[in-house]
Amino acid sequence: MPVTHYLVLSSLLFTIGGVGFLVRRNVLVTLMSIELMLNAVNLTLIAFNAAHPESHTGQMFAFFLIAAEAAEVAVGLAIVLALFRIRRTVRSDEADLLKN
Amino acid sequence: MKLLESLFPSNDFSLIAVILGMPLLGAFVNGIWGRRLGKPAVKMMTLTAVGVSFIASLIAFLLLDHAGHGGEHAHTRLYFTAWEWMHTNGGRAGSTVNIDLRFSIDALNGVMMLIVTGVGFLIHLYATSYMENDPGYHRFFAYLNLFIFSMLILILGDNLPVLFVGWEGVGLCSYLLIGFWYEQMPNAAAGKKAFIANRIGDFGLICAMFLLVHYTGALDWTGIQNNASVLADNPADAYQIHLWPLGGGQYQGFFKFLQPTTPITISAATAVGLALLLGCAGKSAQIPLYVWLPDAMAGPTPVSALIHAATMVTAGIYLVCRLSFVFVLSPFVMTTVLCVGAATALLAATIALVQNDIKKVLAYSTVSQLGFMFMGVGAGAFTAGFFHVLTHAFFKACLFLGAGSVIHAMHARIHDDVKSQDMRHMGGLKKYMPYTYWTFLVSTLAIAGCPLLSGFFSKDEILFRAYVNHSISPVAAKMTARHIAIWQQPEWIGKAVYAVGIITAAMTAFYMFRCLFLTFHGSFRGWAIGRGSGLTPAHGVKVAAKEDVAHAHDDHGHDDEHHDDDHGHHHEEDLTVPGPAPHESPLPMTAPLVILAAFAAFAGALNPAPLTKMLPLEHWLEPVFEEAQKAGVHVAETAEHLELPLMVPGVLAFIIGLGLAYAVYIKAEGKPAKRWAEAAPRLHRAAYNKWYVDEFYEATILSAVDALAETAAAFDQWFVDGIIAKLSSLVVAALGTVLRTFQTGVVHVYAAAMVIGIAVISWFFVAPHAQVSTAPSPNGDYVVTAAPGMGYSYRWDADGNGEPDKPDFTDQTSVKVHLDPGKELKVKLEVTNAFGRHATVEVPLNRPAAQNPMELGSN
Repeated sequence: MPVTHYLVLSSLLFTIGGVGFLVRRNVLVTLMSIELMLNAVNLTLIAFNAAHPESHTGQMFAFFLIAAEAAEVAVGLAIVLALFRIRRTVRSDEADLLKN
Repeated sequence: MKLLESLFPSNDFSLIAVILGMPLLGAFVNGIWGRRLGKPAVKMMTLTAVGVSFIASLIAFLLLDHAGHGGEHAHTRLYFTAWEWMHTNGGRAGSTVNIDLRFSIDALNGVMMLIVTGVGFLIHLYATSYMENDPGYHRFFAYLNLFIFSMLILILGDNLPVLFVGWEGVGLCSYLLIGFWYEQMPNAAAGKKAFIANRIGDFGLICAMFLLVHYTGALDWTGIQNNASVLADNPADAYQIHLWPLGGGQYQGFFKFLQPTTPITISAATAVGLALLLGCAGKSAQIPLYVWLPDAMAGPTPVSALIHAATMVTAGIYLVCRLSFVFVLSPFVMTTVLCVGAATALLAATIALVQNDIKKVLAYSTVSQLGFMFMGVGAGAFTAGFFHVLTHAFFKACLFLGAGSVIHAMHARIHDDVKSQDMRHMGGLKKYMPYTYWTFLVSTLAIAGCPLLSGFFSKDEILFRAYVNHSISPVAAKMTARHIAIWQQPEWIGKAVYAVGIITAAMTAFYMFRCLFLTFHGSFRGWAIGRGSGLTPAHGVKVAAKEDVAHAHDDHGHDDEHHDDDHGHHHEEDLTVPGPAPHESPLPMTAPLVILAAFAAFAGALNPAPLTKMLPLEHWLEPVFEEAQKAGVHVAETAEHLELPLMVPGVLAFIIGLGLAYAVYIKAEGKPAKRWAEAAPRLHRAAYNKWYVDEFYEATILSAVDALAETAAAFDQWFVDGIIAKLSSLVVAALGTVLRTFQTGVVHVYAAAMVIGIAVISWFFVAPHAQVSTAPSPNGDYVVTAAPGMGYSYRWDADGNGEPDKPDFTDQTSVKVHLDPGKELKVKLEVTNAFGRHATVEVPLNRPAAQNPMELGSN
């Protein structure tokens, strides 16, 4: 299969993630959208790596990204929990304590 | 003596460090830890500091005497260099100017040192008792020690900058001590006044220092003395100062008739002398800067004694004596000193005649006596002037401490500072305070010029010298030979000053005896004396005061002004209610009085000029003043015979003053004084209000300065604050308001902004950027280089024909073209990037036509 197919899929996934990130107010959904975008990037990296199997750069980057994602989700969920405790909500537009 | 001499060689006389260091140590310890040490320790520290300093001074004095007798007595000096301070090249003399932290003792400041530490010690001893109940006890003694330290720096310094350090130090300490009770506004204001009046004088001293280093190339005493002659002697234009026209311009307006048509030329000696005189007038309270000294009595009485008698105010006389060889170079300066002294003496005496406050009388008497000292040095009789410093230190310290003792006694009942110092509330204290009375009497006799007491000898010598001495320019003959006109002292000035001096002496006797009679004779007018006897004074006062207050309350029903008070102080008391008799002061206060009175009586023996040929002080100081006197002072040949006849008016002045005071204040119980005051009310009021000099300063100088300050403040308020500060803050605030609208705090808005930002940045990278730089060289070769970029490839059109050189894009980043002179060419570059997008740039190249070869060749 040519790389193009993967890239089209990846860009579709990234767009869905990006739009979801921009329009959804639920922090959990926002986090999931971020995951979607990161996975789209991972997909691209793996696709390029499959097209050029002699170098392992894409795979390496994909592993790093997965590690970073895991960490990010851990922190992100913790923030969401804290937010919920303080404001009794997980809607991001209501979390505007720092405004003014 | 041998041991001491080997311990302290004359060029490294480290005993000076002890003399200086002890008061500093005392000030340091009391200042830092005084509050925790407690009163006995503070007392111990402060007395030890000054006492050890005095003992060290005595030893130093003896060593100086010994060293002087061994070899050449004339210029013996003991030196101590603490450390090198600075040195600089320059001055008109072209030498290296060394300014070290260097101290020296010679005949002149050896005596000063003894006065400062000796009289200072007695005043300290007195103050330990006088200030007993003051909450600022440790602070007071820290300041007092610091004062002694500064004064010692001033007199022991071997050069002008070191002297100036002490000069400023005593200025600071006087400010701190005069304003010691800073909670009261007048005291704080008096401190400020002393400080500011002294600053004006300090300006003169600084100017004198600059002039001296410029002309003589030295600032230490020996250096100045060695080079002083150039100040007057050198006819070169550089050694003369032209005072007009200012800046070379001529004013052409309406007031031009006020302007001299030719420049006034003065010698450098006159300029230096006048600048020094301004400095001395500030410290020693002469016209026009005397106004601070009478106010300086706002401080505690021991401070007044210290400032007025032993230390600060004598600094000016000391400096004139120290730099006598500079002063005598200009007869004009000497005459000015003489006249300023005479005028100050007379003016202050007239004010002292009518004051009611005991300390004010003494304060104006100090100003007047300082005027006498200036008359002495201005007449070229430096020994006489300095002798008066010495005797004045004793009797004035005794008088002030005596006044303090009286105030102390009055304060037991009258708790108001102003009222307790008012002589109208005193009288008859002779009976209750015998020690204070007798010592006060001796000192009054001394200051009034009673024959055979110290003040008589010193004052008489000054007046005699003013009559017979005549200042002459040491370079008059030379200048006349060169046809240079030079100012000479008129003959009559000395006689006029003598007459003024005699009148002032009579006034001195009158107002001092007026003070004595009002305070100690007659009947007591302070309060009715009845109860309280049998109690010890200190406690008796408290108890009696409390009881009296209770009575006063009964009598008047209530009194709103009374605050809650544990000590029974600060009460407006009804003085008709009988109270305990005034009491004599405790021993630590009376002992200094007795010692000072003894000195005031017998110090005249140091220089009894009119009576004997034995003049220990004159002999001792002779080497210091010898050269100056030889150079600049002419003594009338008949002087010897005039000495006794000229003494007669002095004695008569004393008798007249005493007799008049007796007649007015004892015989007639002060009634004639009242009649006179009523006969000439305006004159009396003017004298009582110090001839309105303060008001005059207020109206002229101070209001001008105030106006300037107000203008500056308005400028600061409106321009600096209003425009610069407010405007810029407004701009920042407006910018902040705009930016704040973007800070919604909503995550999605931030995310959207980020997306837009990323899109813009991406677009920047997606679009190629064609940029070139051109490097010309003189032979007509131009190298055109394209800026690099990611994934860029280039297509050049270097020959300017509009068609690319090569059809395809390549990696070629630069082209080289050659241009003939006067030709021009357009190089075109196309850039494409990995996305296949294009960008184009055109560079016009243009070589100027060559210069004419003939012209080039001709160079």
